[in-house]
Amino acid sequence: MAKKKKKTEPAPEAKVGVYVCHCGGNISDAVEVDQVCQHARRVPGVVVARDNMFLCSDPCQEMIIEDLKSGLVDRVVVASCSPSLHEATFRRALARAGANPYVYEHANLREQVSWVHHGAAATEKASRLVAAAAAKARLLRPLESIRVEVQRQAVVIGGGVAGLKAALELGERGLAVVLVEKSPFLGGQVAQLQRLAPFGETAAEVISELTGAVLKHPAITVHTCAEVEDFAGYIGNFKIKVVRQSPAGAVYADRLARLSRSGRGLGEYVPFVGVMPAAIPEGREEFDLEAGAIVLATGFRPYQPRAGEYGYRDFPEVVTLPELIRQLAAAEGAGDTLVLNGRLIRQAALIHCVGSRQIPGVHAENEGGYLNEYCSRTCCSATLYAANQIREQYPKTRIFDFYRDIRTYGRGQEELYTEAARNGTLFFRFEAGEEPQVSRNPHRTSNPLLVKVRDVLTFGEELEVPVDLVVLAVGQEPNDIAHLVENLKIPVGADRFLQEVHPKLRPVEVSVAGILLAGTCQAPFDVGETCAAAGAAAVKAAAILTRGYVELDPFVAEVDLSRCVGTGACVEACLAEGALALVNLEVEGQMVRRAQVNPALCLGCGACVAVCPENAINVQGWTLKQYEAMVDMIVSDEYLEERAEG
Amino acid sequence: MGVQQNLKFDALVLGGGIAGLEAALNLAEQDFSVAVVEKDASIGGKMIRLSKVFPTLDCSSCITTPKMAAAAHHPKVTLLTYCELQSLERRGDELVALITQKPRYVDLEKCIGCRQCEYQCPVLVPDAEQGGLAARKAIYIPFSNAIPQKALIDPENCILCGRCEKVCPTQAVDFFQKVEDFTLTAATAVIATGFEMMPLEDKVQYGQGQIPDVITALQMERLLAPHGPYNRVLRPYDGKEPDSVAFIQCAGSRDQSMGVPYCSRVCCMYAIKQAMLLSGSLPLADLTVYYLDIRAFGKGYEQFFQNAQAMGVNFVKGKVAYVEPGEGGAVRLRYESQEAEGGVQVVEHDLVVLSLGLLPGWTPGASCALSTGADNFIKTVKPKLAPALTELSGVFVAGAASGPKDIVDSIVEAGAAAMEACRYLAARGFKAAG
Amino acid sequence: MEAEKYAGKILILATETCAYPGADAVGQGHQSYPANTYLLRVKDPVLFPEKFYLDCFAKGVAGIIIMSCGVESPYPGSYEALARRIDRVYPLMKAKGLDIRRLRLTAICTVCTRAFVNEVRQMHDLVSELGPPGRE
Repeated sequence: MAKKKKKTEPAPEAKVGVYVCHCGGNISDAVEVDQVCQHARRVPGVVVARDNMFLCSDPCQEMIIEDLKSGLVDRVVVASCSPSLHEATFRRALARAGANPYVYEHANLREQVSWVHHGAAATEKASRLVAAAAAKARLLRPLESIRVEVQRQAVVIGGGVAGLKAALELGERGLAVVLVEKSPFLGGQVAQLQRLAPFGETAAEVISELTGAVLKHPAITVHTCAEVEDFAGYIGNFKIKVVRQSPAGAVYADRLARLSRSGRGLGEYVPFVGVMPAAIPEGREEFDLEAGAIVLATGFRPYQPRAGEYGYRDFPEVVTLPELIRQLAAAEGAGDTLVLNGRLIRQAALIHCVGSRQIPGVHAENEGGYLNEYCSRTCCSATLYAANQIREQYPKTRIFDFYRDIRTYGRGQEELYTEAARNGTLFFRFEAGEEPQVSRNPHRTSNPLLVKVRDVLTFGEELEVPVDLVVLAVGQEPNDIAHLVENLKIPVGADRFLQEVHPKLRPVEVSVAGILLAGTCQAPFDVGETCAAAGAAAVKAAAILTRGYVELDPFVAEVDLSRCVGTGACVEACLAEGALALVNLEVEGQMVRRAQVNPALCLGCGACVAVCPENAINVQGWTLKQYEAMVDMIVSDEYLEERAEG
Repeated sequence: MGVQQNLKFDALVLGGGIAGLEAALNLAEQDFSVAVVEKDASIGGKMIRLSKVFPTLDCSSCITTPKMAAAAHHPKVTLLTYCELQSLERRGDELVALITQKPRYVDLEKCIGCRQCEYQCPVLVPDAEQGGLAARKAIYIPFSNAIPQKALIDPENCILCGRCEKVCPTQAVDFFQKVEDFTLTAATAVIATGFEMMPLEDKVQYGQGQIPDVITALQMERLLAPHGPYNRVLRPYDGKEPDSVAFIQCAGSRDQSMGVPYCSRVCCMYAIKQAMLLSGSLPLADLTVYYLDIRAFGKGYEQFFQNAQAMGVNFVKGKVAYVEPGEGGAVRLRYESQEAEGGVQVVEHDLVVLSLGLLPGWTPGASCALSTGADNFIKTVKPKLAPALTELSGVFVAGAASGPKDIVDSIVEAGAAAMEACRYLAARGFKAAG
Repeated sequence: MEAEKYAGKILILATETCAYPGADAVGQGHQSYPANTYLLRVKDPVLFPEKFYLDCFAKGVAGIIIMSCGVESPYPGSYEALARRIDRVYPLMKAKGLDIRRLRLTAICTVCTRAFVNEVRQMHDLVSELGPPGRE
């Protein structure tokens, strides 16, 4: 990391060159450029003020470069159009002259003067802005962009589709990856499915392809039964302590039993289990990992209905969609009516939005006192896919679908809806708060359950549908990763999913730089969307890792140790976790507490600057002194000709 | 005309909208050289033309311009605007693109974006960038936050009076500019050609664009934008503030008769957003959304929909069958209600917004060996495990080019496509020139 | 140079990601506004301590408009911290006999051109009415 030992006092020898652009009349038609130059020459520190028709043209850039090279000037002010257009151009010109690109200040005389003001007032304003820029330039010091060395390894947390995909992308990019999975299995929730909506790929092929490639990849190391215990560091240099041990309790007993029944071995895919790549460790093992970037792929779990919710647990004939999928895979017989666990299913009800789209004041809170207000995105298509599958295979089994809105938004999904309508699936639409009621059918001879609903599609008719099976299309909930969240200090949204910095500007990044989100730890997604998110997370991780270093803007906070007295006010005001800390330092033979900036984490916002009673901390390139000098010039009349002569 | 020059890059990104820019920036951040080929005179795509974006209601320009500027200033990114792809084919290890540079009649190098020409030009033309609701000149900078900030002449409307040429301080106007073809070779390509909105004229039942107060959703975006044509929401017919505004959902989507059986995926959310923004700018207006299903599926979307209901936006379940002119600029709707007693209802609104569906922005046709799905969007071959993969080796797809998609999903997919392209380059021994 | 009517200097602290490009957009639209306005580009106005504002008024600045990004600030939490600070500046201004309307906290986006011009006009009218700082 760059070490800076610079003083913050102005360089008395600063020689400022001021260059004012006519912009082919755009500026000079409203602003007396000659006068602005004359005024500028009276500003302290300004050694030369020149004007030109087009400063951005190559010959004019050469002129500035010459002035720098000849030693005439060592600070540059360009007064032209908006800095958004040409600040970068002129900084590059400074670099070409062998100067530091940061001893440069821009004055905006076009968008903010000549295009909005006229007459003498425009010229006066231009002169004052140029003087202010020169005053700032005089206080500018050369800055170096901050270079943070990077551990060229990524750690991926979670071994479901998202984690596997992210690991594979990074491995294929030639980067070292360590994948850490809590359970003994790879494949996550997708391994709990059979065929994937809407196109019908099997979970087996999807997971096998990923695990096959990941497990044989020389750049990827996989640890199952492993959890992150502790975490430290920052972008480029994370340190992660991992504990690997046999999972406590019997959480995986069902899957382990399935695995042993299957007769398959390590590394092989087993339906509703996934892939177990290695034996469960006997003892407890701890190890440390270093990482330049971390990809979080901790996934989701299906919503577990409360006892009594739509008759769940009250009636054995009420199951969740994942439970149905498991039962369908084991369904016996090839008759034209579905048989589950020896029971003939002549009529089945599918109920959407179970544990999703819950509305405050309408729906009861879940255990834990929260509501899942979000849409789970995948259940409509998964439910219709199951409906179509049953209708196709068992044409005598009738399907009744109870929904609020059918959300088959994606490619190939609307077709599922059309197909369901075509194959005779009957749809009932209910309003939020008027969910279908599931009860025991009092007519004991017929189907065991009765679903009652006020159906919007028949203009509010109260309908009763006798059925043999009720399937609850349960939504997605984030996995419980409280320990990880606390350790990594990453934000969680109101929906309890991990929160990105900004859904559009930085959709897979969290507020801790270097930590990336992949898949359903962020929000409900289907498999394709999860893989896209994993790819997006991987590309950001790869950008951090491929160069071996990251270069950050030098506009970060800097402590002036000659002024700092260690009040700690800055640390308290800091908006970026870990960017500022009080550390023990030896100053003139004495151990003292002083503020220290971690430039890799500092955002450069300046929240610390405002609270320091000693003005001992400043944002490089944007110091308080520079702003004060600018204000002094804006209010001063000394350099304006009329004043000087009058 | 002969082929002028051959440009060589590691990667070609076709389309300079948000997906293309995101893909290009991700490639460039790994030090691969990228060319962005954009058919319009500015990058930014559809997103830069929007008012605010759901579900955060961020100002769209504020989210788009940083990415546009980042691409424009990135040393590894070259922007080729106002360029049309003629063909893209694989030749051994290379992808070869034949590209036409359309003439701007303004020298890109000389133009300083000062707009003197624009002020002098005597010709007024309806400005497509403002939904045709405002005028622009025959020589013009596409819009206020366009990149590059350079003028171009619209030869259809230019009267060759020469005033622009006289006033231009840099002699950038060049009436003799010609169409130029050039080839561009790259090892990999990302197709990010986005979408176009279905033309209003296509929907017979909705007035075919002949009813002045039936407008498209993109026109409503302009009415709502802070830098829009009227600076406030007025209806085009008589410039009055509308007291009631209706949104017709699935106008041309989920509609076999239009050949668009698919869901356009973004219309529910943009209509809800527009209704919300309208409730701010026209607090007294009645706002009604006619819909089949509200598809608020993304992160924060359902909550956004619930908020709109709480704010008093009416959501009416029903398919609008017919739209016709009413009295004094009003618009009459006939719809089949799914609520209360049901049946056919007739209502009038002051202004009607058609939530038109999305069509592909580009179809490869004979220009390229990429095929399309039944929906005419670019076909992907591995939608689950590698959503960016196309039939053509080394060619990836991102955003709405492979089907309607919102901004968030497009940006994420662009990251995924860039990752695929990076690893494709890495596997072929391309070293990032860092 | 001295106009008959007092036009005290107005300082605008404009964020580089929101209000500064917003002011550029005003320029691109050639919407004129009073010229007694001096715009400083800032990363985030949360940088300025209470004293900075008081010093500015002491130096003769007649009005200050803080044009922040509001809650859309690229630095999460900065707007809230800024708002709290400005709340602390107001009593200090009162203590010095300054009309607190001379300091205004706003949020201006990249295309908020009308809002920008309105804010400037209002502050211009206000300082014209109030006269130089400290004389109200």
